[in-house]
Amino acid sequence: MFIFLFLFVGLAEAQQTKNIELKFSSSFGTDNISLNDTTSFFSKKDSIEISSIRFYCSNIQFLKDGKKIWEEKSSYYLIDIAKDNSCKLNLSVPQNISYDEVKFNLGIDSLTNEMGAMGGDLDPTKGMYWAWNSGYINFKLEGKSSKCKTRNNEFKFHIGGYLFPYNALQVIKLPVNNATNITVDLDVTKFLASINLTEVNHIMSPSAKAMVMAQNIAKSFSAK
Amino acid sequence: MRKDALLIICSLLIVFAFKTVTEPLFVVPTKWPKPAYDFNKNPLSADKVELGRALFYDPILSKDSSISCASCHSQFTAFTHVDHALSHGINDRIGNRNSPALMNLAWQNKFMWDGAVNHVDVQALAPISNHLEMDEKIENVIKKLQRNTLYKKLFSKAFGDSLATGEYTLKAISQFMLTLVSSNAKYDSVMLGKAKFTEQEKKGYALFKKNCAACHTEPLFTNASFQNNGLPIDTTLNDIGRMGITHNPSDSLKFKVPTLRNIEFSQPYMHDGRFKKLQEVLKHYVFGITKSKTLSPHLTKPIMLKPSEQVDIITFLLTLTDKKFLFDKRYSYPKKLFSKEAKD
Repeated sequence: MFIFLFLFVGLAEAQQTKNIELKFSSSFGTDNISLNDTTSFFSKKDSIEISSIRFYCSNIQFLKDGKKIWEEKSSYYLIDIAKDNSCKLNLSVPQNISYDEVKFNLGIDSLTNEMGAMGGDLDPTKGMYWAWNSGYINFKLEGKSSKCKTRNNEFKFHIGGYLFPYNALQVIKLPVNNATNITVDLDVTKFLASINLTEVNHIMSPSAKAMVMAQNIAKSFSAK
Repeated sequence: MRKDALLIICSLLIVFAFKTVTEPLFVVPTKWPKPAYDFNKNPLSADKVELGRALFYDPILSKDSSISCASCHSQFTAFTHVDHALSHGINDRIGNRNSPALMNLAWQNKFMWDGAVNHVDVQALAPISNHLEMDEKIENVIKKLQRNTLYKKLFSKAFGDSLATGEYTLKAISQFMLTLVSSNAKYDSVMLGKAKFTEQEKKGYALFKKNCAACHTEPLFTNASFQNNGLPIDTTLNDIGRMGITHNPSDSLKFKVPTLRNIEFSQPYMHDGRFKKLQEVLKHYVFGITKSKTLSPHLTKPIMLKPSEQVDIITFLLTLTDKKFLFDKRYSYPKKLFSKEAKD
């Protein structure tokens, strides 16, 4: 019996794997956002300060001609643009796979939302969980804008919700031609162009507004 | 191989021998349905339950270390806040709702009067973070626990790791809460053929089955649904109930059907604690139903009960009192654990 086990392990090891680095970044048009410090941007119309960008990336897949080639099941990553370590994911995939798209969930699926207390990146102490209305926050963007007539000109977008009709989870698919170094970038200017900060500056619960915002956030991602 | 098998058998024997001495942590009472809680994902252990019990009774969970879970959920009143229509938190801040009695939580999927919480594991997060209750961040609670000598010991015993995490803390609290099973009332003895109802209790039981059991379904005495039970709106609170969570107008004024077990001791009644006595509750169902679009279909036809019949029902409801539960030492303040010796 043990011999079989060794054989099996040996076989599994014999299969060659390669490493794909999936890196998340955030930009403000042509500028990179590092968030080691609060980052400010100025335009003629507005001055914007970004203080926090955090989101969940889960169920990563590689596709070829729209078909799933590889997936990482039951893995959930909390990406925090302020923490470099959290932005680099190393994926071990079979050496010979060929793919043209990367696919992932922006947020946490409904099943996982009803699983109770969990650890690691899903630990409710990570600041990405709603206590008063159970569920994960899929995406957080916080900062200041001169357009916001709020206290300290702040805006806060906490986007989440997993129950119909406000299931805010977004599936993101981006073209990557067999690349082993993939950078997925969130361009905040694209997202900000989709909203009027004077009118909409705080979203912190599942709602129709949050749904629209989730879709606009999803459209602001691109692969490099 | 053989040695291993022997070892396993021996250790199993030891475990079983031990089991006969200590009471099991959780038992599904005879003829009760299967619990909703998935114990495979968080298997109960004596050490985890003990940790959960300590956390339940420790004001360390609140911002100024002034109130614990037990402040609003005391055992002798079936783990609710007796005499307070609306429960209060730190700095005497008054909450918006009547704290619910805690028991038989393993059979429930949704928690709070409006079902805001979707799993018993994450239940404690709500009162911890609520500004009107404990007003503390879970991140801070964990930091406090990580520094505390007693908890380092308890976490190490329970999880093999002295460092508290959000997951461990919440799972331990839910383990303790899951052990709060009330199934030893006179009603239960009657159902098992070990006792008999008096004539009046029998009458009350028959009336109860006819008029109340559609929502307060046996043996849990709740069907865990959300219903509008025809209470006129309290305009000082304007609480829309379940709709506040789902945003669905068809959920307006709906609240979770509470269990009636230990109802004798869990006054005041209703989500806002507006009734102090069971007589008032019965009167509401007979005379006080306010009609609205979302009124429970079970209440659209009037409930006709003579005053004597109302008394019969109350007499029956008193058979749901479970003294063993209310005074069970396994659920009480863990004096020994919190004594000075344990902390040193």
